[in-house]
Amino acid sequence: MAGRLNDNEVAQEMSKMVSFIKQEALEKAREVKIKADEEFNIEKAKIVRQETVAIEAFYQKKMKQAEVQRKIAQSNHVNKCRLKVLQARQQVLNELLAEARSRLVEISNDRSKYQTLLKDLILQSLYQLMEREVKVNCRQKDVDLVKEAIEQAKQAYEKEVGSSPHVVIDEANPLPEKSAGGVVVSAHEGRIRVSNTLETRLELLAEQMLPDIRILLFGPSENRKFYN
Amino acid sequence: MAQSAQGIQTLLEAEKEASKVVATARKYRVQRLKDARTEAQKEIEALKAQKNKEHADFEKQYTGSTDDIVSKANADTETQLKEVTAAYNRNKAQVIDKLLAGIVNVQPQIHQNAKQVKRAA
Repeated sequence: MAGRLNDNEVAQEMSKMVSFIKQEALEKAREVKIKADEEFNIEKAKIVRQETVAIEAFYQKKMKQAEVQRKIAQSNHVNKCRLKVLQARQQVLNELLAEARSRLVEISNDRSKYQTLLKDLILQSLYQLMEREVKVNCRQKDVDLVKEAIEQAKQAYEKEVGSSPHVVIDEANPLPEKSAGGVVVSAHEGRIRVSNTLETRLELLAEQMLPDIRILLFGPSENRKFYN
Repeated sequence: MAQSAQGIQTLLEAEKEASKVVATARKYRVQRLKDARTEAQKEIEALKAQKNKEHADFEKQYTGSTDDIVSKANADTETQLKEVTAAYNRNKAQVIDKLLAGIVNVQPQIHQNAKQVKRAA
């Protein structure tokens, strides 16, 4: 068989085969490289996209959180400011009432007016109690005026009701010295009490008059919508 | 026959070279995949840094405006507080007089149901 091809032809065929093998290898390598570059781009883009989405979401959330925090802080601040103003008003109101309280003593300075006042206070208390036996507590210095006032009150009471209660001044338990005046009328050993002292009247009146005081001091409310 | 042995040898060597070439290409591929990851990470880091900066700028701008609102609210409150004391000083005499007048104004009234009792008596 060695006779068919001579040496040159053998060599030629050999080199053809060798270069064929080389060629195949180069082509294969190129394919692999091209594929590799494609996959590189795809993979890189995929990773970047995934992370980008995550980052976007993260920062969106952060912004929203910051916004919420900001709103909360603002709201808190507004509330605090409102409270400040309200506290100032309350304080001013307390000062006003304290001053009114200190002026109560002036009422008992006008003896005749105070006398009439005592009579009315006692009468009002008797009407509240509608009792036959009552006790009156007053200031020690008012005892004489109160005695007179009791008589006047009993007369008026009798005219209206038809009977006259038995009224006793409890001189053993007078109202404190620094009280501004007025009376406390009680029945059944103090189980039913009508406190008609000037101080209690001031307290009651102040509480009932709060809406009017507000308007007189600070003007009507700007935000209020309903008045009924 | 020595020729064919040599020929086979040559072919085998060629194959070896060929498979080396292909192996290199495959190594390149593996490297490319790794590179994809690292390159992507680099890009991501850059993106993160940029986003962070954007966010920080945004925050700075916003805290600025919030401070404005806060200081305005404080100024308003100061005005209102001053108004409270002013109004108080303006009107307190009136209110105190009204209170004192109310205290002295006693209207003794018998209970309306009690009136019938009197009539019965």
